[in-house]
Amino acid sequence: MLKASQLSLVISNFTLLKDVDLHIEPGKVTAVLGPNGAGKTSLLRLLTGELLPTSGEVTFNGAPLNQWRPQQRAKMLSVLPQGSPLNFPFTAREVVMMGRIPHATGLVKDTEIVDAALSAVGGSYLDKRFYTQMSGGEKQRVQLARVLAQIWEPSVEGDRFLVLDEPTSAFDLAHQQLTLEIVKQFAFQGVGVLLVIHDLNLAAGCADQLVILDGGKIAARGSPESVLTAAMIKAVFHVDATIGVHPKTGAPLVIV
Amino acid sequence: MRRLSPIMFFFTASLVLVIALLLGLLSGARDIHPSALLGMFNLSNMDMDHRILHAIRLPRVLLAMMAGACLASCGAVMQGLFRNPLADPSLIGVSSGASVGASCVIFFGGTSLMGGAIGLPAIAIGAFAGGLVATSIVYRLATSITGTSVSTMLLAGIAITALAGAITSLFSFFADNEMLRRISLWQMGNLDGADWSRVTILSLVVVPLMLALPRDGQALNAMLLGESEARHLGVAVESLKRRLILLTALGVGVAVSVSGIVAFVGLIVPHLVRMLIGPDHRYLIPGSAIIGAALLLFADTAARTLMSPAELPTGVLTALLGVPFFVGLLLQQRQKLVG
Repeated sequence: MLKASQLSLVISNFTLLKDVDLHIEPGKVTAVLGPNGAGKTSLLRLLTGELLPTSGEVTFNGAPLNQWRPQQRAKMLSVLPQGSPLNFPFTAREVVMMGRIPHATGLVKDTEIVDAALSAVGGSYLDKRFYTQMSGGEKQRVQLARVLAQIWEPSVEGDRFLVLDEPTSAFDLAHQQLTLEIVKQFAFQGVGVLLVIHDLNLAAGCADQLVILDGGKIAARGSPESVLTAAMIKAVFHVDATIGVHPKTGAPLVIV
Repeated sequence: MRRLSPIMFFFTASLVLVIALLLGLLSGARDIHPSALLGMFNLSNMDMDHRILHAIRLPRVLLAMMAGACLASCGAVMQGLFRNPLADPSLIGVSSGASVGASCVIFFGGTSLMGGAIGLPAIAIGAFAGGLVATSIVYRLATSITGTSVSTMLLAGIAITALAGAITSLFSFFADNEMLRRISLWQMGNLDGADWSRVTILSLVVVPLMLALPRDGQALNAMLLGESEARHLGVAVESLKRRLILLTALGVGVAVSVSGIVAFVGLIVPHLVRMLIGPDHRYLIPGSAIIGAALLLFADTAARTLMSPAELPTGVLTALLGVPFFVGLLLQQRQKLVG
C-alpha cells in the first residue's frame, strides 16, 4: 500500500497541495488528472520521496517512505519521471538494463527480463540503436521498458508499485493503447499503478480510480463512472462536455 | 558508430601502455639499450645506464603514468556527474585554484622556499592547497540543505575559475621576468624533478583512487539518466556526489601539484574512450585511466627527446599529440554518420 495522509506542500509561500489523502492499492490502477498547475507532478514527487511534504506523511508498504533504504525501496517502487535528460549514446538495451541496477539477479536473468520488457513496449527493434538518435516516442518507450524491467518480477520485500508521469505524452495512437494494456497487465499481476495523464478517455479506459486535482486539492475521486460528469468537467477544466458510453468497453466517454 | 568490445579495447589499450612504458624508459637525453631493463631491479648494479634508469627514468615514467591515469579517470567521473561530455576536472576549480597556489608560492617565496617539506617542493604544496580551497568554495556555494545542485556547481565553478584566473594574472603582472617565466612554465605542465618521494606521494593517492572510482561506475550510469531517475533506481545520490567530488578534487589536486596543469587529458581522453567503447562507466573509468596514462607517457617522452638535451613542457605535447588523433576520430565518426 502506498498511502498519503493529509499531505500539504508549500514552496516559497505558494501552497501547491493542501490536505491530500490518497490510497494506492496493489492490483489497482489510479489515474491522477487535472488542469496544468493543479499539483499533479508535485503529488507524484511527494509520493515517490523526491520531495518532502510540508506537513502530512507518506507511508509505503507499512513504513514511512523515507525510512526505506534507497536500494530496498527501488526493488518495489519504480518511477518514470517526465523527460529524462539522458544525452549519452547508450543503446536501448543498456538503458533498459539500468532498470536492473537495484537487483542482484545475475546477467542471464537480467538479459531475459530486458528482452521481455523491450518487446512489451514494442521496442525490440531498438535493441542496439543509440538512445541519442531515437525519436521522442522511441525514447519514451525505452524509458518505459526500463521502469517495467525494474519491477518485472514480484519482490520478496513487499508489494510492487509503478508510478508513471505522463507516460503517453509522446506516443502515437497505437502506443497509447499499448501503454494502457501494459498498465492493466501489471495491475492484474498485483502491481499498484499510479499514473498522471491528460487524456480523460485514456484514463477512463484503464483506471479503477480517478483522482481529479484542482488548485492543489482533490476535487473529485472514485470510479470513472462516478467522477466523469459534465458538471465536474465544467467546474475543473472549464469546458462544456457531453458524457457518452464507449460502445465496446462500456467506459464513460468524454466528448468535447 | 561501431563499438569495440571491452575485451578487445582493454587488450589493445594495455598493449599501447606497455609500448609507451618501454619507450619512456629507454629514450631520453641518453638512449638506453633494452638489455639494461632486464637488470633494472638489481640495485647493486651501478653502471651508468642502471643509475639513470633507477634514479631518473623510472620515477619519471611512473609519475607520468599515474598523473595521466588520474586526470583522465577523474575527467570521466566529472563528465558523468555533470551529465555533460564537455565537463572536465577544472570545472570544479581544482586546476585554477592550484594555479593561484603555485603562482602565490613562486611570487612570494622566490627561491627561499624551494626546499619545501616531505620531499615536495613548496610549489607543489601551494598548488595542492590552492586546488583544495577553490574546490571547497565551489562545493559550498552549490550545496544547500536540499543537496548539491550540479548546475549551480557548474556556474560556481566557472565564477571561481574566472576569479582564480584574475588573481593568477595579477601575480603575473607584478612578477619580475624570472618569476613570470616560472609561473607560465608551471602552467604548461611539466614533469621534471620527478623523484621517488613524489612517486610515493602520488601513488598513495592514485592507487586507492583507481580502485575506488570504478566501483561507482554503475551508479554514475544511473546518474546519466537524471538525478531523480538515479534516486528511483536506489542510488544514494547525495552521498555519491559528495564522495566523487571529494575524490576528484583530491586526485586532480595531487596530480596537478606534481605535474603542473596538463591540459586536455581530463577532457579529451574520456571522450575518446567513449567513442571507442560507449559510455558505460564500468569500462569507461578504467579505460580512460589506461589511455590517459599512455597519452601522458608518450607526451612526456616526446617532451624529453624532441629537443634533447633541452626539455619541452609536457602539457604542450599532450595537446600536440592528442588533438590530431582526436580530430581524426571525430572525422571518421562524422563520415560514418553521413555515409
